[in-house]
Amino acid sequence: MALSLVNFVVVIAAVLLIIGLMVVNAVIMVYAERKTAGFIQRRPGPYEVGPWGTVQAICDSMKLLGKQIFIPGNVDWILFFAAPVLAFFPVLLLFLPIPFGPYLTALKVDEGILLILAFAGFGVISNILAGWASNNKYGLLGAARAVSQSVAYEIPMIMALLGVIFLTGSMNLTQIVERQGAWPWQWNLAVQPLAFFIYVVSMVGETNRAPFDLPEAESELTAGFHTEYSGMGFALFFLSEYANMLLVCCVCATFFLGGWRGPFLDGFWWTFIKAYALMMFIVWIRWTFPRVRFDQLLNINWKWLLPLSILNLWITAVILKFVD
Amino acid sequence: MPSLDSRIARWRQIGTLSISRHDFRVEGLLLSAVVALDKLLEFVKTLYIDGFTLLDISTLQAKEGFLITYHFDSINDPGRLALRVLVPTNNPVVPSLNNIFQGAEWHERESTDFFGVRFSGNPNPVPLLLPDDFDGPPPLLKSPESLAPLSALGLFGTIESAEPAFAALIDPKADQG
Amino acid sequence: MDRFNFINPFGVRYQPDTVAGDFYTNNFAKKAESNTIILNLGPQHPSTHGVLRVIVELDGEYVLRAEPVLGYLHRMHEKMGEVKTPWQFLPNMGRVDYLHPIAWNWVHVGAVERLAGITVPERAEYLRVISCELNRVASHLMWWGAFVMDLGGVTPILYAFEEREKINDILQIVSGSRLTISYFRFGGVSADADDRFLRLTAEFVPYLRQRLKMYQALVTDNIILRRRLEKVGPIGVDMCQRYGATGPVLRAAGLNRDTRRDIPYSVYPKFDFNIPTGPVDDCLGRYLVRLAEIEASLSIIEQALESLPAGPILPPKAPKPTFKLPAGESYFAVEGARGQIGLHLISDGGKTPYRVKLRAPGFSNLSLFAEAARGTLLADAIAILGSLDLVIPEVDR
Repeated sequence: MALSLVNFVVVIAAVLLIIGLMVVNAVIMVYAERKTAGFIQRRPGPYEVGPWGTVQAICDSMKLLGKQIFIPGNVDWILFFAAPVLAFFPVLLLFLPIPFGPYLTALKVDEGILLILAFAGFGVISNILAGWASNNKYGLLGAARAVSQSVAYEIPMIMALLGVIFLTGSMNLTQIVERQGAWPWQWNLAVQPLAFFIYVVSMVGETNRAPFDLPEAESELTAGFHTEYSGMGFALFFLSEYANMLLVCCVCATFFLGGWRGPFLDGFWWTFIKAYALMMFIVWIRWTFPRVRFDQLLNINWKWLLPLSILNLWITAVILKFVD
Repeated sequence: MPSLDSRIARWRQIGTLSISRHDFRVEGLLLSAVVALDKLLEFVKTLYIDGFTLLDISTLQAKEGFLITYHFDSINDPGRLALRVLVPTNNPVVPSLNNIFQGAEWHERESTDFFGVRFSGNPNPVPLLLPDDFDGPPPLLKSPESLAPLSALGLFGTIESAEPAFAALIDPKADQG
Repeated sequence: MDRFNFINPFGVRYQPDTVAGDFYTNNFAKKAESNTIILNLGPQHPSTHGVLRVIVELDGEYVLRAEPVLGYLHRMHEKMGEVKTPWQFLPNMGRVDYLHPIAWNWVHVGAVERLAGITVPERAEYLRVISCELNRVASHLMWWGAFVMDLGGVTPILYAFEEREKINDILQIVSGSRLTISYFRFGGVSADADDRFLRLTAEFVPYLRQRLKMYQALVTDNIILRRRLEKVGPIGVDMCQRYGATGPVLRAAGLNRDTRRDIPYSVYPKFDFNIPTGPVDDCLGRYLVRLAEIEASLSIIEQALESLPAGPILPPKAPKPTFKLPAGESYFAVEGARGQIGLHLISDGGKTPYRVKLRAPGFSNLSLFAEAARGTLLADAIAILGSLDLVIPEVDR
């Protein structure tokens, strides 16, 4: 795709929109998560500020904006501040190839998923930097955990996506959506259920959400790699965490759940409905299950998810060969 | 668990300063013995072999010195026993039980904190409950005028046997006479 | 340091020589191997329940050595016991262990009653049993929630709090307080149970039984929880013996020891109750023992409510606040939620006791942590710490 001026303007506009989406997403998700947690724990959740506490999340973000950025002694402050920025900005790029709707795609590239997977690696670099630069042993342990966890869970995730790519014969996300139908039995979920399962598990692992939230395991490492961050530093990690969640859920919706295609009326709303349903699923398991141990986390990955995803890939390849 | 009589006989064999029986319903103890410092570990070893566990170490400051009471309870059959040692106030050093009952380490450190009694052989003799920079006398030390003699505290129940020299210390009647 | 040797925009100067820790860290670090991390868990840490501090030496995530550092909540109750009369000292006992204050009430009044030869009316004994067992249930519930929170499950503690609130409401009726309860008096209890207390207690027992079933399905049978606890931190009989561990820790090791039955006090011999012992001596065993103990306590409460006699709650010659203890020694032990609580009381016949020694079960139970945690993963060490059921004010006294 030639990068003409029009395309350039489109991308810039898209980046601005995506920043807006990330912020709105974080605000909505904070509220939704706290409310859900409240209902799961049989308490009302936030209800004081605004009707049903809806303004609470906005007030919280204002608080984070206004908070002092505390910088601990003896830190490498360049890396210390680079880390949250590095966590935030790559996520912007990741949203560019996502086809939210038939016409709502910022960057229609043929290797969209490759772009996403390549830039997703930035997240873990920011985690390492944050853990290392904050001169905190908890941070360091959290960073070490983040690295091995992210590296481990990326592999079955890619393997699971490869199954769909085999089927479609394309890495273009738009084409992947177009190859699926409107109704659930026409989605890739119906033909790649194992891949979907593997993807959902690794998606939780990849975004460091409970029960796989080892890098920030509260009861062990206080807050893991972002222990020393306050104010906006923390807020950027927070934003990128929710943005990452939205991203993996959008990818999941695109690959397995038919993307923007849905019953009755195609459109971007279906992408968002599916993505947010998946996000609520992640929220739900977070508030229900205890955390796994680190060796168990890696065991699940290397001993179960990876062999299963290879098996899935193999079966897909064999079936495709015979069908052709 | 051997009966009390056989335990008394065994204790006598090793050699105690005094042995007393207690009324369990009043004092919560079955038997107590005051032993010499150099024989303490030997007694504790037999108790460990017989399946006793160390409940706590309670130090008491009296006129004659520090009376350190080791409370033991059998893990098979209930029944509390106590071993006591008496150490002088000016140089209180007691052998540590850490090699037999590792749980003693903390009780001993607590006693060092509160009374200044030292335990030779404690693997980690640093303050436990008090801060490391605590300066001041150990908080539970009493002023000399408020100290009571051992015989006035009624610690020794029915005295079964006692070394003559020690009996004078603990027996209220001997005190009066 | 060349790269850092300037003041950054936030005014923090790089100081290469400020890495050293405090006295305890340095003392601990003397024995450290090279290439290990020395990590301070606490005194402010989400899973040390208050202000316990544990220094651990880590090789990667494996704990090579651990050493608890105590004293952050030390209040010298033993000294207060010496300068206050037994009456004045009574409210202190509720502050020693805020989760099971009634057991500490009991150990103090028990020791004084033993020494002074006070007999307690039967109704008071029954009320003591009921309130103590209710309090034990509350303590175990609280532990259950906090323990699952240590394992990363944040929801159960809020469920546990709800039941605990109900118990607090019930205990408030008779004792007037919800946390640091001081309900017992020498010779009896401070207030008689009214109809509301009895009715609410009777309603609570079947209610909680039903809830326990839900907890079983929701939490105990969860595969993640099981895998986190099975074969983690085995604490055998020998270790318990060497460290003087009591209570659920000892019972999970397989020994059927419970002060309520072994060294009977009060009216416990009249009740028929089950003393759960662990099928396994690991964290799961301790977890299951505590949950089974809730059931046992409920059964005791039920029996006590059925056979609650009428009568006074204080003996006719109950001690006045000015009474003097006779000279002598008494050792009284009760079964607290965490193990055997003991109070060694020595009096010289004066206004105040000559010496008060509190035996806190958590103190002995925690002392075995260093050995139990050796060689485990950090997450397992946290699980072991949680499974010991620590209440730091009690450990520090």
